[in-house]
Amino acid sequence: MPRNDQSVGAVLVVGGGVGGMRAAIDLAEAGLKVYLVENMPWIGGRVAQLGYMFPTHDCVLCRGTSDHGYGCTRPSISPAFLDFNRHPNIEILTNTDLIGVTGRAGDFTVTIRHRPTYVDAERCINCGLCAAVCPVELPSPFEEKLAVRKAAYKMAPRALPDSYIVDKVPRCDSCRRCEGICPTGAIHLDEEPYERGLRVGAIILSVGYALSDPTEYGEFGYGRYPNVIHSMQYERLASRSGPTEGVVLRPSDGKPPKRIAWLQCIGSRDQKYPYCSSICCMYATKEAMIAKERIPGVHCQIFMMDERAFNKEFNAYYEQAREKYQVEYTRCRISGIAEDPETHDLILRYPDERGRMQEERFDLVVLSVGARPPGGAADLARVLGIELNPYGFCETDKFAPLETSRPGIYVCGTFQSPKEIAETILDAAGAAGDSMRLLREHLGEYPSSREYPFLWKPDGLPPERDVSGEPPRVGVFLCRCTPTLDGTVDVDEVARFAQTLPDVVYVQPLKYGCFKEEQAAIRQAIVERDLNRVVVAACSHRTHEPLFQKVVREAGLNPYLLEMANVREHCAWCHVDDPHGATRKAKELVRMAVARVRVAEPVHKLAVRPVNRALVIGGGVSGMTAALTIADAGYDVTLVEREPELGGNLRHVYYVAEEQNPQRLLRDLVNRVVGHERIQVLTSTELISHTGRVGDFRSVLRTVRSDGNVVETEVAHAVTIVATGGEEWRGEAFMYGRDPRVITSKDLEEIVVYRPERIADLRQVVFIQCVRIPNGVEYCSRVCCTNTMKNAIRIKMLNPECQVVILYRDIITYGFREAFYTEARRRGVIFMRYDDEHKPTVRSVGPQLELVAWDPTFQREVPYYPDMIVLSMAIQPSSGTEDLARILGIPLSTEGFFMEAHLKMRPMDFTAEGIFVCGMAHYPKFIEECIANAQATAGRALTFLAKDRIYIGGVVAEVDQAKCVGCLTCVRTCPFTIPKVRYEDLGVGGIKGAAYIDPALCQGCGTCVAECPAKAIQLRAYRDEQIMAQPLGGWVIG
Amino acid sequence: MSEDRDNGRGEFVPEITAFTCIYCGYMAADTAGALRIKYPANVKLVRLPCTGKVDVRYILEAFEQGADGVYIAACPIGNCHHIHGNERAVARVRYTKQLLDEIGIGGERLDIIFVSGGMGATFAEAARRMTERVRELGPNPLKGGSG
Repeated sequence: MPRNDQSVGAVLVVGGGVGGMRAAIDLAEAGLKVYLVENMPWIGGRVAQLGYMFPTHDCVLCRGTSDHGYGCTRPSISPAFLDFNRHPNIEILTNTDLIGVTGRAGDFTVTIRHRPTYVDAERCINCGLCAAVCPVELPSPFEEKLAVRKAAYKMAPRALPDSYIVDKVPRCDSCRRCEGICPTGAIHLDEEPYERGLRVGAIILSVGYALSDPTEYGEFGYGRYPNVIHSMQYERLASRSGPTEGVVLRPSDGKPPKRIAWLQCIGSRDQKYPYCSSICCMYATKEAMIAKERIPGVHCQIFMMDERAFNKEFNAYYEQAREKYQVEYTRCRISGIAEDPETHDLILRYPDERGRMQEERFDLVVLSVGARPPGGAADLARVLGIELNPYGFCETDKFAPLETSRPGIYVCGTFQSPKEIAETILDAAGAAGDSMRLLREHLGEYPSSREYPFLWKPDGLPPERDVSGEPPRVGVFLCRCTPTLDGTVDVDEVARFAQTLPDVVYVQPLKYGCFKEEQAAIRQAIVERDLNRVVVAACSHRTHEPLFQKVVREAGLNPYLLEMANVREHCAWCHVDDPHGATRKAKELVRMAVARVRVAEPVHKLAVRPVNRALVIGGGVSGMTAALTIADAGYDVTLVEREPELGGNLRHVYYVAEEQNPQRLLRDLVNRVVGHERIQVLTSTELISHTGRVGDFRSVLRTVRSDGNVVETEVAHAVTIVATGGEEWRGEAFMYGRDPRVITSKDLEEIVVYRPERIADLRQVVFIQCVRIPNGVEYCSRVCCTNTMKNAIRIKMLNPECQVVILYRDIITYGFREAFYTEARRRGVIFMRYDDEHKPTVRSVGPQLELVAWDPTFQREVPYYPDMIVLSMAIQPSSGTEDLARILGIPLSTEGFFMEAHLKMRPMDFTAEGIFVCGMAHYPKFIEECIANAQATAGRALTFLAKDRIYIGGVVAEVDQAKCVGCLTCVRTCPFTIPKVRYEDLGVGGIKGAAYIDPALCQGCGTCVAECPAKAIQLRAYRDEQIMAQPLGGWVIG
Repeated sequence: MSEDRDNGRGEFVPEITAFTCIYCGYMAADTAGALRIKYPANVKLVRLPCTGKVDVRYILEAFEQGADGVYIAACPIGNCHHIHGNERAVARVRYTKQLLDEIGIGGERLDIIFVSGGMGATFAEAARRMTERVRELGPNPLKGGSG
């Protein structure tokens, strides 16, 4: 890795989907400059097309899209991609391709080429007049051709950049109507493409995937039969922001379907595309469940080979689909579809599990299409000089899962391998972590601040004026947004009305308030007229509030002394045919805003200077990787391991399915950790207590020394990483523990390595998959199937004569691991499925072990007399996980693993800021996944460590303890279990025990405020006084 | 009282207050605007961080000040940005409806709707339906007279 003065503190992120955005935010927060390059005209990627996510059924609009801060549940964290609140360190370059790269890790020079959009996004006011006059209609790729759009168009109302573009067709040059009608002159049809050079230290590829093409499989009639659609089309139909607002109708006749079939593995796990696309099982389940929720009486049937529900809460989700929603799963790969030409119904013929032919009719068939390498992957690889794997995805090493073959270029998300959103986010944060390590000298070089509700570069703001005690002097600024607002609302009339409102001392109409020159006018008026409260009557809070908050702050006012009235989206635009009513409503909205702002109070956050240290709990592959990344980046780490030596489960992994040597990885990690000057290793040590908040945690660690003495140490740290791992369950099942011939897969691995001669003597081995903890929650342990493939292949390699039988429920060899399943079958391994009704049984008959299994094909029991039975035991959380969760104050999932802040969008964070989770403490996972996870937590940790100041609080609930009766209502109603009743605090009348809400944890919803019977809690910026000051009822204006 | 209490054709035009969260409810109204979907200009939105913040007092205050109808535009159940805020709002609406029945205003003047941020047409439809319903119920009896 180069360490020289030449390196550059900037990162190029290629791809503006969910992964690219996550990486960009983390890099920017760590103080690096980011160029986010996207080849589409808008960012958002695939996720923007989805309606809901599995298994949370969260609406993607709220959790997943770019205008929403990326799954944040904290109002104090503002979205970083809004046009008017963009992170100061992120430059978004859409409609742009990467065309050249020279240089090396730490100092690349890249060339990008921008294709014109013909619209100046800074001048576009989203009036939509260009699209209204545009005569060209084209199918919408965003809506998967289920709707049309104009040549002048916007992908979706919430697209970012928040601007229309022109997708120029030859006719445009002679037409030019859009250019003529644009009220701000934002359209320039003669714009030329341009190239630009950028210097960056690292490159992250997050270029996503392409859908497999269903027309490659003519037997399914896609494109010929109107009622055969692909899964992304179904997503658009089911999306609340889709062309039908979520109402699924049959394309042929517009009727609601009564019977829907999903066909799995279209373009996956076949001869041509032999890998598993990893996401289709779950999204089909989700689509079927949503159909069941929305379409009364609908029959949903999924035709699949294995149900691959292999992540946290997925199994419960799948069970719910089967049991509660009555989604029918049929194990069969359909080979073709016939259509009834009169009704356009679809006819499926298939053999059931016993081999009997069945025929069924469906109204709608959804093809669950798989993932392909992204379009242009080969060109990109050539430009970058990186290698692709045989499937055309990015080649990575198992033990460096986020590094491409060229140093300094990292990869994340589906370009590495097909994967779901949560894993893409983990990868992205991990690739950001890798880049931070590479560019360690530059961390914090570009500071940014979250002191205010808008993101800004901490320089040049005048001191904040103290307005307390001053009588309100309200200035009202009315945007005309010609012609979209003043074309309907009589802005001058509203201005005259505003003059009459109490405490209004200044009223000024603006032409376009969002243009820079007009913002200067607002600032000038605030200063010259001595205003201490401001109302801007313009457009949506969601898009423009941060802009005007910044404008008033620049004029010396606290941002919360601003109030907006949405007289565009909520008034002029939806009442275009009622100018009188719209004007009247606009006055009412301005009256409300003035009333609200008159009693507004400043809101400040609390600044914390972060301690220069991270605490990592757990010294396995995850903990060591996280510790090394943080330490390499230049921060101190205390690494705590309960056992006397480092290594965790990795100590017992001797070979992997791929070819690498895990013991070498172990030695390498341990040596680097022990030798690192910034890492303090404490073995035989456990965490006793953990207090404080992000930036300034205090922990007590108890170490048992080799001489038996116990020592307690206190350590101060800014962040905490939980990497406590998991362990193979060992309990009584299938005569394990009673017959030495019944062993676990971990035992087998030791035998293969240390006593291979025993393998040579075997005649028959039976593997039993999915050995579960009795009375425990069912979940997939994710790694066992691939482990069994690796072991079965080893046995076949050492002793080809040995018969190997694998009894399984579903084979979970997702992604490119499918190759090991194929290889095992090629070597003659026998696979036989079992289910809960027909579990295998094991007993000893004389000297022999007898295993009886049910053969579903022949419908009878088959006895085996194996020399060895290998059990794939469930992987459970490490012992002590519950205690640790209590000490840290963080929740556990139903399976007993740590429960992150959000399953999809924040898979490495907890609601409690500054604490992160990685590796098997999160869920069972492979070494490469643990490494990527660990890098992700390290990257997240660095975003806090690299800051001068962390800001907490803001719009949070505050308890007036003098009013609190300690009734626990807030404790019970808080959705995040934040309020506590503390015995040492005094409540009403000095009674002991009053509620306390930690500003670092409060999510600012206000539920406790509304419930508190003593009205002892107030939410800042939404105090009851502010809400009730508004005229809530009758309108007093004509 | 407003001279706009009728629409010039002698028809009663209700005045309606809608409480929304800044997430789905507010966003759905934005979407309706962005797509230029029309609905009557007699609904005003009160912005809150979450519908879990809708206090029973806010609703009662709205009626006391003369609102003819009140509704809450919340995220779909299961999709609240704050997990359960909308469920709290449902409980409070149920409770307040009883109160309104008891004091003679009528619980049917209060409602809660669930919209996702993308559902502009649904938001507009709800505004139309509420307006229609309240129009049939007539003016808020607290205001007395013809309004």
